[in-house]
Amino acid sequence: MTSPSVSPPAPGPDGTDPVESVLAGIWAELLDLDTADLTPGSSFLRLGGDSVLAVRMAALVRKRLSVVLALSDVTVEITLARLADLVRRRRTHTGAVRELPLEVSRRADPAEPFPLMPLQQGYFVGQQGGWELSYDSAHFYADVGLTGVDGDEAADALTDALERLVEHQPTLRARVTPEGRQYVLDPGAPGAVPRLLVHDLRDAPADEVAATLARVREEMATSGPDPSRGPGLDIRLSLLPGDRGRLHTAMSLLVFDGWSSTVLNRELLTLSSDWNAVLPPLEIDFGDYVSALARLPETEAWAADRDWWWSRLDALPSPPALPLRTDPKDARPALMLTLERHLSPERWAALRRNCAERGVTPSTAMLTAFSVVLSRWAGHRSMLLNSLQLNRLPLHPDINRVVGAFASTMLIPMELPAGAVFADIAADTQRVFGEHAAHNLVSGVEVARELGRRLDTTRPVGPVVFQSTLGMDAALGEKHPASVGPLGEISFDDFYHQLRTPQVALEARVYELNDEMAVVFSLVEELFDPAEVDAAFTALVELAESLADGPGWDAPVELPEALDPQGAGLRLGLPGPDRVAEESGPLRGDTEQRVAEIWEELLDVPVLDRGADFFRLGGDSLLAVRALARLAGEAGLLLGVRDFLDAPTVAGVAAAARPAGETR
Amino acid sequence: MSGRVIGVLGGSGAVGRVAVDRLSRYGLGPLRVGGRDLGRARAVADGAPGGAAEAVRVDLGDPGSLAAYCEGCSIVVNCAGPSYQVLDTVARAALAAGADYVDAAGDAVALRALASDPPAALARRSAVFSAGLMPGLSGLLPRVLAESGPLERLDVYVGGAAAIGPLSAVDALLTRGPGFGSALAAWRGGRVVERALAPLRSVALPGFRGRVHAWPFLSAEAADLAAELGVGELRNYTVYVSEHIPEALARAWAADDLPVEEHVPSVVAAADADIAIGGPWYTLLFHARPRVRGGGAPTRLLLRTPDSYALSGVVAALAARALAEGAVPAGAHAASAVLDPRGVLDALSRDPLVDEVDLG
Repeated sequence: MTSPSVSPPAPGPDGTDPVESVLAGIWAELLDLDTADLTPGSSFLRLGGDSVLAVRMAALVRKRLSVVLALSDVTVEITLARLADLVRRRRTHTGAVRELPLEVSRRADPAEPFPLMPLQQGYFVGQQGGWELSYDSAHFYADVGLTGVDGDEAADALTDALERLVEHQPTLRARVTPEGRQYVLDPGAPGAVPRLLVHDLRDAPADEVAATLARVREEMATSGPDPSRGPGLDIRLSLLPGDRGRLHTAMSLLVFDGWSSTVLNRELLTLSSDWNAVLPPLEIDFGDYVSALARLPETEAWAADRDWWWSRLDALPSPPALPLRTDPKDARPALMLTLERHLSPERWAALRRNCAERGVTPSTAMLTAFSVVLSRWAGHRSMLLNSLQLNRLPLHPDINRVVGAFASTMLIPMELPAGAVFADIAADTQRVFGEHAAHNLVSGVEVARELGRRLDTTRPVGPVVFQSTLGMDAALGEKHPASVGPLGEISFDDFYHQLRTPQVALEARVYELNDEMAVVFSLVEELFDPAEVDAAFTALVELAESLADGPGWDAPVELPEALDPQGAGLRLGLPGPDRVAEESGPLRGDTEQRVAEIWEELLDVPVLDRGADFFRLGGDSLLAVRALARLAGEAGLLLGVRDFLDAPTVAGVAAAARPAGETR
Repeated sequence: MSGRVIGVLGGSGAVGRVAVDRLSRYGLGPLRVGGRDLGRARAVADGAPGGAAEAVRVDLGDPGSLAAYCEGCSIVVNCAGPSYQVLDTVARAALAAGADYVDAAGDAVALRALASDPPAALARRSAVFSAGLMPGLSGLLPRVLAESGPLERLDVYVGGAAAIGPLSAVDALLTRGPGFGSALAAWRGGRVVERALAPLRSVALPGFRGRVHAWPFLSAEAADLAAELGVGELRNYTVYVSEHIPEALARAWAADDLPVEEHVPSVVAAADADIAIGGPWYTLLFHARPRVRGGGAPTRLLLRTPDSYALSGVVAALAARALAEGAVPAGAHAASAVLDPRGVLDALSRDPLVDEVDLG
């Protein structure tokens, strides 16, 4: 049992969970089955239960375990595991203790496909084209300078390190299927180990060196690795004159999160620097974690978090109404623009001290500063921001050393008070952030999906993102190795990076590098006025500096009068284009029948009207991708994502997909 | 048959009142409105739009009173319940008096009670059971969708918010077990498959208001229909606006050591709670998938009414009219097996109690 629980239930004499075994006894009795036939995932209905037996079951639970269950809790579809969780919670009344009855263990078959996590789904869908603010690949590209490279040994050392790392971290062998599932290749499978590409420019003239580096950067930044086609990691080494070099890495966001990229870089460099280095073995991999999480929605804790979010959805503000020069639906970005400035080690240390004094984290201070800047830019004080969270649930001691796409998003409603000083606003932000983060079992991606459904839009609902990895270095323990054997020394001040995140209009990132704090804007350039972007970025850096230097904390923060978006013109967060309203009525013709049947199977609800809307029926973007695949594969109906989104009704999709010439 | 009347038993109730009104409008001759309370029966008879309606006091529990009532009737339309008590009592009295019989309720169990020991008169006269909404229209109307060819699948959704009186509550509580139907079952490949379907919670269905809960219940009527039409798969759902009623029924059925009457108040209260949500309304929705595609025949039939009881009265009156017109063969039948689906649909689409009929 490796759950983070404070008080796991004592196991029975045979090592089984006592609650579950009592319940299994009750089920066996009612359903006339042997307890051996019951697995935690078996549903009462599938085993032969009905609503009458469910009432009797509740009565027996009351009698034998002294737990009173509401009938609405004991549905016929309930599984043994969910019931056990329900009973445990009712018994202990420890609503505050987030005891998760989940256990991560090795899967029997490490090659077995497993589902995508919610944010992975978002990235996967974002790679299908047609969605607003999407790219062919969602990835992070970086290159860093090396000095004192042993040109004859470096490539071999790196190749060897890569082979060992691929063995150690299965996610390096991850692939994503067209239906949006993932699996891990055997280490011996062809293509399992990403191939290191070496650009040997040691004897090349300066202009060729510059041209080649520029070309590699351009190539790797605009066409990232795609685990639906090959490895999710692209790694290259440029050998340069004067024993210098550059290490280039591109990582797919579909399989690696930010924390993973740090772990990966460190492990790769550790292995490169020493042929004999051995990494502490990992007991679990990402697939094991995801498989354990499959039962999360069956827990009461998850249901409580969902209810918490759902009850707030209708009151959430809209994103900052930043003035736009292009409607996001018309933008076709290839790259995001990156702006970056650093706070010196002294200022960064001072900022940490000042934050500690005021009882806020540096991340909170920077989130508050970003909100202030956005508020002035957008002209209102209440806004919905999105944030990227590491979100690794502590289900296993190895969890933080595993590479994978654990990360998730979290929506944060920011309401900046008028006339307050920065320190008070930051304290308030800290409280709001903590309150929301305490309900992180339901990811921001899922919350955003439900919000989109309620707002009846398929546009991104949280296109302005904040991400902080401040404190991550401390969490990882020892500092990043600077000296890496044959690869020489890493020049941290010679670091270049590029990010492509779908569904994001503007992202602010803060991270630590080499004792400095970096402040970054990544944005879709064509959306905004460049002068406004520069002004906002400069304002953010200046505010950070003023917080490091001191005066920023106690001065009243000047903010716009308006709470909610004002003003006309093209602005971020506008309601989506009106969906084509298809006339409702009976399904017409064979094509509509086929569309309805496929939707019905995918969504598990009746689809009986030609005006039925895929998203209102409960569909989401991943299911939409699956629907498109099945329409093409089973019904020979071809249509693009954009067509689907423009009219996501049975009639709309059938009309868009209907081959020319067919009349009805 | 000249000089004979059409009798409507339970004529002052929610169903019977409407049956009297429609029979009178159809001009089928003089009526005899029967009820336990003569004053109420007279009020209904006096209000009959076509005139010539008499009121008679009758006690279903008194064979003499019942026989006297049936004497002189060409047709006896029974709108009194509860069905589980009435069974075939009135049918036998009507047949003995030389009348045809229509029962606005009366399920398969009542029909079987009569057919298993048929009176001699059944060779010449007809007895039509289940001439209401469900069973009744629920088994009749889907036939319109099967007119042009066999169906691969048929989905039936019937329900809404309707009051359940104490007597109807007993009927509802007794709709379990052999002869009635099976919860969570579907008809597949020529047989009943138990536990084939899960409840649909909080779904949107065409013609139903807001989000509703649909409980799979393969009624005897639905299974018979599937077998008769050769439907590949039939899914039959009872639709509720909340989970109050299914929960009340489940609780009652789980506590089967208590007499059924003990559970009546909770079922009545559950139905009242449903009506409190948004008033009374009722919808019948049938959705077909033809075996041969692309024929262009209608695949969906939708009917909405504000009052399911009143509409049962219309169906009973239509069944009586079919009898009067000689359109029903002798013997004991379910209404869905002998009425003309198109004819009934046309009549309903002109009836003021029907908000909408949509066939497409």
